[in-house]
Amino acid sequence: MKSTKIYRHLSKIKGNKKFFAGAFTVAFIYFISIIGSFILPSEYYRTGSFEPALPPNTKNFMGTDCLGRDILAQLFRGIQNSYKIGFIAATLGTIIGATIGFISGYYGGFIDKVINVIVDVFLSVPSLLFLILIAALISGGVTVETMALIICITNWSWPARQVRAQAMSLKRREFVYLSKLSGMGSMEIIVKELMPHMFQWMGANFINAFLSAVLTEAGLSILGLGPQRDVTLGVMIYWALSYSAIFRGMWWWIFPPVVTLIIVFFSLYILHVGLDEIINPKSKKV
Amino acid sequence: MTTYARYLLGRAITLAFSVWIAISIVFIIPRLVPGNPMDAILMKMSQMGASVGAQELVEEYKKIFGLDKDLFTQYISFIKELLRGNLGYSIGSFPTTVAELISRSIPWTIGLLSVTTILSWIIGTILGALIGWKGEHTILSRLFSYFALLLYVIPYYIFAILLLFFFSYYLRQTLGFGFPSSGGYTPGIELKGFTLEYVLNIIWHSILPALSIILTSLGWWYLSMRSMMTTVKGEDYILMAEAKGLSEKTIMWKYAFRNAILPQTTGLAIALSRIVGGALLTEVIFAYPGMGWLLYNAIKSLDYPLIQGCVLLIILSVALANFIIDLVYPLIDPRIRYGEET
Repeated sequence: MKSTKIYRHLSKIKGNKKFFAGAFTVAFIYFISIIGSFILPSEYYRTGSFEPALPPNTKNFMGTDCLGRDILAQLFRGIQNSYKIGFIAATLGTIIGATIGFISGYYGGFIDKVINVIVDVFLSVPSLLFLILIAALISGGVTVETMALIICITNWSWPARQVRAQAMSLKRREFVYLSKLSGMGSMEIIVKELMPHMFQWMGANFINAFLSAVLTEAGLSILGLGPQRDVTLGVMIYWALSYSAIFRGMWWWIFPPVVTLIIVFFSLYILHVGLDEIINPKSKKV
Repeated sequence: MTTYARYLLGRAITLAFSVWIAISIVFIIPRLVPGNPMDAILMKMSQMGASVGAQELVEEYKKIFGLDKDLFTQYISFIKELLRGNLGYSIGSFPTTVAELISRSIPWTIGLLSVTTILSWIIGTILGALIGWKGEHTILSRLFSYFALLLYVIPYYIFAILLLFFFSYYLRQTLGFGFPSSGGYTPGIELKGFTLEYVLNIIWHSILPALSIILTSLGWWYLSMRSMMTTVKGEDYILMAEAKGLSEKTIMWKYAFRNAILPQTTGLAIALSRIVGGALLTEVIFAYPGMGWLLYNAIKSLDYPLIQGCVLLIILSVALANFIIDLVYPLIDPRIRYGEET
């Protein structure tokens, strides 16, 4: 029974071009950046390794920036760090949000009311603002990991709201009553009966959260609140903008992070749409 | 009316509660860091090499916000000063208050964002309606949809960078003429007063920032309107109108369009509620003198009271706008059941 269900999902995944194209591109970019980091030594993205502001040449395929760092090496490193932030923030945000939302929806009552108001506040305020306050306070000490944690502070609210609604509808279904009648404890019901219904949804949410974390990181970094001692795609843009790479005509500095971000966003979006089609075949988006 | 009054009361309580939570969070965050916030400000000021007025600033702060007293007293005086519209002094430009700096910047943001939000809504909605009505499977429709999707996925500030490169730098390099790259107007022109030249200058400077916002939000309006239009097209009343022999134009605009536009209106209201904090990064990239640019400079000069003021103001504006939407919405769309939480 279970294996046929899994098989059905697998066959749906097989037929979904969007899912594949998106997943492949996202994975491919990461793969290239890993390989690239092995080939280009880490000194390449240190200050003063090369002559500053070199256009692309045979040694530096994407040229160097105003501080004499190799852009391609920075880009590889930046992709990995941006992915890392996306991964940590999306994982923690989804788990924390799902847990809070589940407790709120399943148990209801006073806890539910309190959590609901807090979620309301976080959902209605543009999340970048709270993050600006926090990041500005610890500016100077922001690392890639703290950046991910900072983003987590706000990105749990959306999954919390979604899971709450699901938990509220699930707990009224017949199979839950049946398992209660058959003497299962509430923990057992949650883990064995309800969790499996959430997993698919959590997967789709994860992709979405990953996308928005990468986006938020870029936004915070462009404002000058990004990690100082490491490079992400957003930090690369920040440097390029602060040294006015655009008006020095250094297209090889500003374009690599910008184009990479666009490709990553687009393929994550396609991946998300594909996943959505697999999970809810009825909803059809563009 | 009684249900509406009860609904109103409920919304007002939610508003008050979320404003209170937001204010408390803004109050607590800087105090989570060990040490006196004033010491931190002083240290940052000395890092910046500024000592003029530092002592006066500290004294002023201590007096107003009771920083030498316990946390609860501080909290009370913080809220009290806030209710009086006092957001404290900017550190970067000391004798100027935060409220004054914000009131100088906010017209720029509201002006830019309200115009661009409405323009992109109108263009996107009309395009979506036309193409949704004509059918999804024409080549033009497909082309448009992919283009719209691409614009929707690209964040506005990334798009702003591209615009800046191509239409300001590259155009100037190749044709010797390009759009302005920074500022809201040519400095000096404001001295002549509020003339036509000044207005045109402002519009000229806002073209690129406006385009970055219009084009990236256009995608969403187009996509949602198109799909609404396709849904509405299958409704019975459209068939009925066709059977009555009405012209296609009438059916499209008077029947389909008017029904499909309702969710779009909600979307517009929500978008308008976010205009104060809506496009901070576009302002940063074009050095446009609005809230985003103010915030960016506050961050650069470690002006924490100013950062706090900007953030608080944007949060409050969003909360208030949400409240207004909630009030007006049941009056527009009677299908909304108020007084009952889902």
